[in-house]
Formats: sequence, structure tokens, C-alpha cells
Amino acid sequence: MPKKSYIIGAIVIIVALIMAMHSFKSSLTSYVSVGEAKVSKRPVQVAGIVVGGSKRYDFKKNSLFFTLREDGGDEMVVQYDGPKPATFNDATKVVAIGKYEPKKQVFAARELLVKCPTKYEGQVKGE
Amino acid sequence: MSNPGQVTMWLGLIAVCISSACYAVLCFNRDNRLARYAARSSFVGFATLATIASMLLMHFILNHDFRYSYVAGYSSRDLPLEYLVSSFWAGQEGSFLLWVLLGAWLGILVMFKAKDMEPQVMLIYNLNHIFLAILLIKQSPFELLLFTPPDGQGLNMLLQDPWMVIHPPVVFLGYAAFSVPFAYAVAALWRREYDGWIKPALPWAAFSFVSLGAGIIIGAYWSYKVLGWGGYWGWDPVENASLLPWLAVIALMHGMILQQTRRKLRKTNFVLAVFSFLLVIYCTFLTRSGVLADFSVHSFVDLGITGWLVIFMFAFLAISIGFFVARAKEIPVSKKGEGLSYFSREFGLIAAIIILCLSTVVIGLGTSAPLITRALEKASKVSTQFYVDTNLPFGILMLFLLGFVPLLAWGKNTVSKLTRKLIWATLGGITSGVITLASGFPGTGVFLLSLFAGAAAGMNLILVVNLIRKKITISSGAVAHLGVGLMFLGIVSSSVYDRSEKLLLAQGSLQNAMGYEMKFQNPTLLREGKGVRLYLPVEVKRGSAQFIARPDIFSEAGPDGQMKRFAHPHIRRGFISDFYMSPVDFDPGKKTHGPGDYITVKKGDKVQFHDYELTFERFDVSGMTSKKDSRHMRVGANIVVSHKGAESVSLKPMMTVGEKNEPSSRVQLPGPKDAYLTLMSIDAGAKTIGFVYHGPESAAKKHVESPPALIAEVSIKPGMTMLWLGTILMLAGGVIAIVRHLPK
Repeated sequence: MPKKSYIIGAIVIIVALIMAMHSFKSSLTSYVSVGEAKVSKRPVQVAGIVVGGSKRYDFKKNSLFFTLREDGGDEMVVQYDGPKPATFNDATKVVAIGKYEPKKQVFAARELLVKCPTKYEGQVKGE
Repeated sequence: MSNPGQVTMWLGLIAVCISSACYAVLCFNRDNRLARYAARSSFVGFATLATIASMLLMHFILNHDFRYSYVAGYSSRDLPLEYLVSSFWAGQEGSFLLWVLLGAWLGILVMFKAKDMEPQVMLIYNLNHIFLAILLIKQSPFELLLFTPPDGQGLNMLLQDPWMVIHPPVVFLGYAAFSVPFAYAVAALWRREYDGWIKPALPWAAFSFVSLGAGIIIGAYWSYKVLGWGGYWGWDPVENASLLPWLAVIALMHGMILQQTRRKLRKTNFVLAVFSFLLVIYCTFLTRSGVLADFSVHSFVDLGITGWLVIFMFAFLAISIGFFVARAKEIPVSKKGEGLSYFSREFGLIAAIIILCLSTVVIGLGTSAPLITRALEKASKVSTQFYVDTNLPFGILMLFLLGFVPLLAWGKNTVSKLTRKLIWATLGGITSGVITLASGFPGTGVFLLSLFAGAAAGMNLILVVNLIRKKITISSGAVAHLGVGLMFLGIVSSSVYDRSEKLLLAQGSLQNAMGYEMKFQNPTLLREGKGVRLYLPVEVKRGSAQFIARPDIFSEAGPDGQMKRFAHPHIRRGFISDFYMSPVDFDPGKKTHGPGDYITVKKGDKVQFHDYELTFERFDVSGMTSKKDSRHMRVGANIVVSHKGAESVSLKPMMTVGEKNEPSSRVQLPGPKDAYLTLMSIDAGAKTIGFVYHGPESAAKKHVESPPALIAEVSIKPGMTMLWLGTILMLAGGVIAIVRHLPK
């Protein structure tokens, strides 16, 4: 095999990895509080509970709206347009990933994580 | 000790240690018959003890022995047999036992098939199982509770599905199989058999590919069928944990094929065999150590094995690196002059291996993001879009290779010979390209992906037809690659061209959406086990076709007393597209209160009647202190009423309670002149008040009810049949490859 092809191969791999790293950095979202989310320009994730009775569906916009309340008591309205996780109805804790839109005063979530119990679910160990 | 399961596992650990020691002796003195006998029989002993331990756990589950924490945590008395059986592997501890059990059984096969390499292969294989056995003892399914609960917590509803009964065994069979090529690779370095290990290890690599692949696909299918979010792949860490070693083993298979036919890539294959095995451990670490707890839809719990897993991983890494470095200079490289043409099958395979590895690295990077970023600053995760964006170019290149490389022969090729054959790839590409463009341009990347996926499918379809006529076994690659092409066509069409709408379907009324006529019929409630299942039938019509979609919502009280609901979608499969209806919410409907109605409201709650909204704030007991008459008390209620959303008015009707209740006098309501309210009852225990609304005569006619309604997410997903067909073909190709490469 000519040496040249090694160099070309290496360059291709390096370029691919650099592009991947770039994409990696730009798609990172970190956990922040509601207050921080409201001023952040980057996508972030906020964890909290769904305030009882705050869920409503907007059928024209095909979105789900709900109020998320974090541990400290801060609240914000979350808009989510995607498919709803199966366990959302009874979710005690959800994680909304997206960006706050100051104009609409809603947090536009592009992903919604609901703690879903599968085989990795923790056991309630008896005392 | 009074814990037979725990004792059995300890004995198993001792057996596998003895077996290792004897194999170690055999590695240096291969004619020691006693050592061989002892090594083999103690390994069989280990497999027997693993079987006994599993039978014990199964016995405890089937007999509802809730003294065991695991049995109490994952099963219950009312579970049907199949789900009792599957609760064996519903939790981490049980699934580890399953892993050890399957590994032990596979080990017996390896032992009798490894021939000359047996001592080294089995020593490495045993070392792996020593670690697994230690993990299992640390994280034991036989842990006892201090008390015996009357019933177990039961199996999670989502896992009560036939596919989830078989998914874990299939995945863990794959995980167990990964250690075989690894053991062979290290043994080969040890014995300086740099080519000899490929032949016996290749069917094992193919077996790992088929088994883990089947596990992944079953998981994806379950996710689509049960979870109701409309997708089949979410790039969740648990999913990626299976995908990463799987991609690595595909690269390994291709490398092994290249080494077997062209004596190339000897070093690469060692690295790939080690890499794919270490990925299994690394992913086990990721998903079971709790490091990703905040970043997945799954709840991960650290059961105290993190440290062991890290030691495990580094120990095997050190062993592999040690052997590799010691032998690196000796490993023959392919001869000079046997130059590699860019225009050959070799080059295509090498490119495929590089792409697969890059994809593995990128997905691994994304999955480990919380770990990497935690070291730097705040732990963060990557969005799922990251995986899509970074893998799109790899997918395009891969499919391009699949459409083109099968044409190439080993060695040198000429263009003129190929052009005639290229017509099938071109035809396939044009067909999928035209269909894609007709359905709307999806962006350059996705367009290229579907173009090449079509080419790959077209090319490999004709290859399958040609090869099967000659000999079925040589069609393995073509069948698998046809499957990959179809799978990607299915992925593109179902994820780019799916249409989805949330609909409010009121009972009895016809609604048109997405080209369908839908009518929500009578919901029915059925008791089932500890919960109730609410069937929500919807009559769906399109042209002359008509069917009833039956999504349902199952509710049951969890062990913590909270209600849990599980929405099951209804899927109507079609050859071209699936009709997918997932219930989002059910509104039982409400009767709006009209004049003359007796209405109760709880403290702090809101109630609506006619055009009013009333909030009961609190009781007014100021009248009680002033007049100390025990038989009669004047109690009031502070309420706030608004009419048609206008400004609220505070009202304080007072009534007499005691031996004889006396309703309050009429209180004028805001809005129309002749609207009044009378406070009728006060219940301090239940914290409710009851009142009667006397509305204007005109309001009586507007007394309406809102019917029950179903809120559903309806989507049309094209290409799902093609996707599943593709995955089945891909695995079928793997099965053919196992048969093809079995040592004769």
C-alpha cells in the first residue's frame, strides 16, 4: 500500500473527528436552573415537576404546554411539539431540553425526558 | 449459611477459579492430562453451578418467595407464568446472572471446539467469568430482606410484553458471545498463531452480531409497539450501550473476512476483537454505574459495582496491550508489492471498517458526554440531533460502498467489466431517488442517503438472486447488505416523511384528519390484575377501508400509592405505511352545572357552573366566637365568583349549622340580575360546601354537557414494513454467515 494513501486516510479520519468534535461541543446541553435557562442563549436542560393541572394541548399548533416547577419553586411554561413520552401523564419528574424564548415567554423544548422505569429501575429495599 | 443461592454462586466462583488455574498449568505444560481433566470438569462444574443458581432464582420467583429482595422487587403473585419467568431478568442482578449462565453454557461449546488453542482461549475466557462471578456476588439476586412482604411489587407494566420476555436473554447471549473472539484474539497472540484464530473465531463474531443485533431490533420493535412515542430508536444511553459493541463487531467481522481471504489486517483484527469486547464492559459500566443517572429516560441505580467494573475494564485492557506490545514486531504484515488498489474489494472493506469504527467512536463520544464534561465543568449531555448529524455522512459513505463494492473483485479491477453490472445499482438508486423527490426534497444529506440506500438495495438484490441459485451459503453478505439498504430506506421514509397530528376526538362526532375519517366510540373500562384498562375504540375509515383502532390506557397504583398510567398505541400495519394512534389523554367529559343544581366544592378548589367560575377560599368562622351556643353555629364561606371571565367578586354567605341546618339567605351573583346563590351545607370534616345556583330562566336552556373525548396523537409512518424486513434480512445474512464459516 502506498504511503500516500495512509496520509489521505489519516487526513480523512482527522477531518471527520474534528467535525464530530465541533458538532459535539455545539450540541452539548447542561443542566441549569429555571432562572439560568431564561437568560441562556444556548440550548439547556431543566429538571422539575409538572405542575398539576397545568397541562394543555393546542391542537392548532400541535403542541403540548405545561408548567414546570423546579426544586426551588421557580416555574416556567414549557412548549413541546414532539411526540409525548408514554409515561408523561404520571411523570413526577421531567427533564425539558431546549431553549427559552423570551418573546413568547415559553421554554421551547425539543426533547422531553421522563424518568421511565425499565429494568434499570431501582428497588425499594426493605429496612 | 442459610442462603443456598449465595452459596451456589460462591462455589461457582471457586470452580471457575480452579478451572483457570488448571488451564494456566496447561498453557505451559500442555501434556498434563490431570490438569486438562481438572480444568474441563471444573468448568463444567461452574456451568452446572450457574445453572443451579439460575434454577434456584427461578424457583423462588415461581413460588413467590418474597424473602428475597429481588423476587419482591420484580414479581408479584398475580403475574402470569410468562411474566414471572421474565421477571428473572427484569432487574440488574438477575440479568447479570443470566449473562453468567449464558457465558458458562457458551464456554462449554468453546471448550470442545478450541482444539489446540483450548488452554489459552479458556484461560482468558475464564478470567472474564471470574470477574462476572465477582460482580454477581457483589450484586446478588439472592439478597434477603429483613422481613417478608405479603406480595411483591410486581413487574413494570411496560415490561409485560412478549417481546420483553425474550429481549434480555437475546441481548445477554450476544454480550456473552463477545468474549469468545476476544479470548481467541489474546490466545492467538500468546501462541503466535496470527492467522489460525480467525477460522474458529469468525463464526463466534457472526454469532455475536446476530444475537446482539436481534436484541437491539427486538428492543426497537418493543419501543415502537409499546411505548407509544411513535419512534423505535431514541439514542438513549441504554440503546447506545448495545449499539456500540455491535458496530465494533461488524467491523471485526469484515476485518476477519479480509484476513481469511487476503491475509491482511492481522493487527487491526486484534485491536477490533479487543475493542469490541471492552466496549461491552464499558457500556455495562455506563449503564449500570449510575454515572448517567440524570441523562437518560431510564433510572440507573449504582449497586456498588462501579469500582469493580473499572478494574475489570483496565485489567483486560492491560492484558491485551501487554500481549500486543510483546508480539507487535513479530506479527507479519502483508507483503510489499501486493499493493492495494483503490479499485478493489479490499479497499472497500477497509473503508467500511474505518467508517464503522468512526461511527462507533462518535456514538461512544456522545454517550460518554456526561462523563467527559463532568471532568471539565458541568455534566452535560448531547442532544439526539448530534448522533443524527454526525452519522449521516458515515451512513451515506457506507451505503455508497454497499452499492458499489460488491461489484469489485479481489485484487485489480477494470472499469469496462463493471459498467454492465452497475446498471442494477443505478436502477435502485434512481427508483429511490425519484420516489424521494416526489415526496418532497429532504435536504442534500438525506437525499444522498436514500439515493445510495436504493442503489445498495438494488445491487444486492440482484446479487442475492444470482448467488442463491449457485449456493445459499455464499449469499450471506449480499442478503445482509440488501437488508441494510432496505433498513436505511425504511429509516429515511419513516423518520423524514412521517406525518403526525394531535387530535381531539369527541365521542360520537366524526372528525376528518390526515385523509382519514375518525369517530371515537364508547370507551370501556375493564379490570385487569391490580389495575384497570380503559379501551378507547375509534372507528377509522379511509375510502372503502374501515377498521377499529383500539388504543388503551392502563392505570394501576404503584407501590408508592401513586397512580401510574401506561398508554398503549394502536398500530395498523400496512405494506406502504403504518397508521399509528397513541392515546395522549382521556377526558371523561363534564356536565356543566345549570340553574337549580346542587353543587359542592372543596376548600381551595374551583368549580364552574353556567357562565360562572367560583372559588371556595376558606370557611368563615368569625360568627362562632361571638355566640357560644353549642347547638347552633353561624358559619360562613368566603367565595370568589366571576361571571364570563369578568372581574371577580367576593361573597360571604353565612348559614346556621348544628341540630337544624338553615341555609343562607340568597346572595346576589355578579352578572345577570336574577342570578342568586344559596349556601346549603357545610362539611368541616371533608372541607366542602354545598350550594344551589338559582339562575335566570334563560340559562336553563343552555344547560349543556361536554362529551367524553380522546386526545390522541395520530401518525402515518411510511416504510416501517421495509425497515423491519431490512433488519430481518440483515440478521438472516448473519445467520447464513455463521453456517458458512462453521469449521467443517
